[in-house]
Amino acid sequence: MSEQLNFNSDAETHQQKRRFRFRLYFAYGFVLLLFAFLIARMAHLQWINYERYHGLAEGNRISVETIAPTRGKIFDRNHVLLADNQPVFTLSMIRENMDDIHAFELALMNLLDQTKPEKIEKYFKKFRKWNRAKSYSLPFSLTEEQAARFSVMSYQFPGVTLTARLKRVYPHKSSAVHALGYVGRINMKELKKLDESVYRGTQIIGKSGIERFYESRLHGYPGVQQIETNARGRILRKLETVPAKPGEDLHLTIDIKLQEYAESLFGNMRGALVAIDPQNGEVLAFVSMPTFDPNLFVDGIDQKNYDRLLYNPDRPFINRVINGQYPPGSTIKPFIALGAIENDYISPTKKIYDPGYIDFAGIRYRDWKRTGHGLVDMNSAIAESCDTYFYELGLSMGIDAIHDSMAPFGFGSITHIDINGESKGILPSQEWKRMTKGKSWYRGETINSSIGQGYHLTTPLQLAKATAILANRGKIIQPHILRWAIPPKPAEQIEIKKISNWEDVIQGMKDVMHGRKGTARKYGKGLPFKMAGKTGTAQVFSLNSAKYNASELDKSLHDHSLFVGFAPVDKPQIAVAIIAENAGSGSKTAAPLAVKVIKRYLADKMQSKDNQKIKQKSKNK
Amino acid sequence: MKLDDIQPQQVYRHNKGILEALHIDGWLLIGLLLLLATGTAVVYSASGGDEAVIIRHIIRVGFALALMIIFAQIPPNIIYLFTPWLFLIGIMMLVAVILFGDIGKGAQRWLNFGPVKFQPSELMKLVLPITVAWLFAHSQFPPSYRRLLIGAVIIGFTASLIVVQPDLGTSLLIAMSGLFVLFFAGLPWKVILAAITAAVASAPVAWHFMHAYQKQRVLTFLDPESDPLGSGYHIIQSKIAIGSGGIQGKGFMGSTQAHLEFLPESTTDFIFSVLSEEFGLLGVITLLTLYAFVIARGFYIASQAQDNFTRLIAASLTMTLFVYIFVNIGMVSGLLPVVGLPLPLVSYGGSSLVTLMISFGILMSIHTHKRLLTD
Repeated sequence: MSEQLNFNSDAETHQQKRRFRFRLYFAYGFVLLLFAFLIARMAHLQWINYERYHGLAEGNRISVETIAPTRGKIFDRNHVLLADNQPVFTLSMIRENMDDIHAFELALMNLLDQTKPEKIEKYFKKFRKWNRAKSYSLPFSLTEEQAARFSVMSYQFPGVTLTARLKRVYPHKSSAVHALGYVGRINMKELKKLDESVYRGTQIIGKSGIERFYESRLHGYPGVQQIETNARGRILRKLETVPAKPGEDLHLTIDIKLQEYAESLFGNMRGALVAIDPQNGEVLAFVSMPTFDPNLFVDGIDQKNYDRLLYNPDRPFINRVINGQYPPGSTIKPFIALGAIENDYISPTKKIYDPGYIDFAGIRYRDWKRTGHGLVDMNSAIAESCDTYFYELGLSMGIDAIHDSMAPFGFGSITHIDINGESKGILPSQEWKRMTKGKSWYRGETINSSIGQGYHLTTPLQLAKATAILANRGKIIQPHILRWAIPPKPAEQIEIKKISNWEDVIQGMKDVMHGRKGTARKYGKGLPFKMAGKTGTAQVFSLNSAKYNASELDKSLHDHSLFVGFAPVDKPQIAVAIIAENAGSGSKTAAPLAVKVIKRYLADKMQSKDNQKIKQKSKNK
Repeated sequence: MKLDDIQPQQVYRHNKGILEALHIDGWLLIGLLLLLATGTAVVYSASGGDEAVIIRHIIRVGFALALMIIFAQIPPNIIYLFTPWLFLIGIMMLVAVILFGDIGKGAQRWLNFGPVKFQPSELMKLVLPITVAWLFAHSQFPPSYRRLLIGAVIIGFTASLIVVQPDLGTSLLIAMSGLFVLFFAGLPWKVILAAITAAVASAPVAWHFMHAYQKQRVLTFLDPESDPLGSGYHIIQSKIAIGSGGIQGKGFMGSTQAHLEFLPESTTDFIFSVLSEEFGLLGVITLLTLYAFVIARGFYIASQAQDNFTRLIAASLTMTLFVYIFVNIGMVSGLLPVVGLPLPLVSYGGSSLVTLMISFGILMSIHTHKRLLTD
């Protein structure tokens, strides 16, 4: 309350006001004093030391520029170039230094006769509004000839400079694009994550595949150079240079000749093929069809081309090798059979009678062969792909035993291949269903699962890896695309009680190709080597929820055609997994395709060996 | 209706101009508009005539002017009522920044409300001096030591919340705006002298607690030539820009230092260097005269204010404006260490422009909302 009284006492209020005003005067005096001090400082810089600073500004001609590093090249396993850098010419312009923008615009229209004049006009309309002192490079590149023609008349156009830069080029176009990946312009999201000191001067970055996975090795480290310019910013000479450290050249395990051959075999079909060298996990072919041309992305793809690819019902952007998740169908029968004989659920010689179906809980599960296979043992069950045998086997094993016999081969987990964003598929088990669906397992579901239908989903890469391990008789390999990427370490081995179990299963697969009743005996005939294989036919329940139009609907309901195999049986050098989408039974489409790829690879290998022998012989002489 | 019939009150109303109706102080407005126009011209030149930049700047200036007018409508007694709540909200947001703030350039200063990013320390630039003024609204001149101590604790607490972000520059500026209120409320001279002595003596201790980048700034400030291509580069280039302007300057759009990109942040923190290069010493003197005029008008408003609360706000906000001007010009001319601070009313518009224009709105409100002294 005493505070309130102050307001009422006029004399005191007046005195307080006076004191306050004194402080105001004092403050303003202080302000003016410091302003005077600032003016004195300015006079010191602008008047007394004017000559010095004027000279410095005029001589302010040394600036530091970044030199972008050259991106590493990528080669295939035989040193064939897959990703190259080629010089392209562009023009950069500083508006402030240009005399007649319109004249240059007209000259450009004349020079770039391929580019539409409207596009040039549109660009210059924008350019006239931008920062007049900054350098902008034209979004159109010049051919070598156009660059030469421009340099002849460049004296007419001050403020315009011809610059050469390197552009990423993929000479094999759409081939192996899902493994190789591509580069594109750095976007805002990537810019935030990047180390500015490394990426100043760089405009492109690996967007997918090898280009993305090994970005840090391919990119290199930028250099700097000091340049001397005249007062208007034109470069006079280069002073000191710290050269850029170019990116590392990479060699892939891919054999581009085999890759292109495999791609050509697919024709218009959708699907995927993976070929692995079982001895070391090197991926020889990495086919995902259809493909697209990565060169479109290097300078930024235009909307029309992008939409055409994005909305293509065949989905070229999907990397089917690592992201296509398909029901594996009968291709998993050898793995289940191995688990069954290993854990004594059945003896390889035990015969089961197949009437063409089994009945379980009131439902009839049919064999693919309506009339049945009659009496079958394990060998013929694999060779003829008898469903009923595996229905019975699956029921006696249960889903968890099926899971346990397949898991060591890598089903249901990612392979850790050197490409980002791999899918892991589904290897069902009781626990898996409880965790993901919150429901318990029904035994009827085991029947479907035992022939690779139902919940089973695998990627082509997983299938190829599992086949390679089987070909190795249990030696686990790590699939990879970069050559010499995996430091040698003791290979893990799937331990097994009876070594002969491997051979029992592999004999079944051999009989698929070479047996009297084998499902792919047609293609095994007359091969110069012995191979093992397994066909598969997967019923489609829509690979992805993409909406197909009516005419496509019929086709999309067709079965997927699958095949896994390796050769030669005794000393495997190549393991292959293939899926042809909606292409019918495995024996009809996938098997002949895989056989052709294997045949070509082994023949090429023979030939190069022969060549080496000839060379050695001539040396010895 | 005869003229004689008109009541005095009505005459008053009738003569009320549009400025008065909008609670706007004409003199202050003229000063501000001249400074904003100067700023727009220099931003245009510094950006190299980039139309997109200048359009964005004009939109922001317009927005800030609108906010100024809105705040001029709020009578000071309403602000008085809300002050404790504003302070509480401000403190809570500062705490929130420490706990959940976005990290940018090594410091967490921003609160992210979905699409809107917000810097609570910007709000505190206004709220802290107002809160301290609220504290002294009813005290005598000079106030009791107990009250001064409470004021000092409020200032210290707020500043410490900003220091840990860490943002030493802003926290010092905000603390200063609170200390100005103490000064105008009648902080005894002997205390002021003792505080200054203590501050000078404690400089070595402060050095010990500084972050590496802050130490670097101080070192570079003391000897910019020691690191001519590193952090000293900016100061050297800025001094070259200013010095090469001479007395008359190189003329509008003539800044080679900005156009050849030797000057960093030429539209924001270093805009004064561009102005000095293009308009020379004469331009600098003109600019400082304009500032001196605006500051004089702010102090005049403070001197005419009717109560402690408003006069303390008016005086301290005006003084804070001066500090910003001095620190920015001192920085670009090599007198003070480099702190990221724009030149008030001239730099390319950012959140500080908004805060500044709101404080001018409050000044105008103080001057135009007066109780009639009838009792």
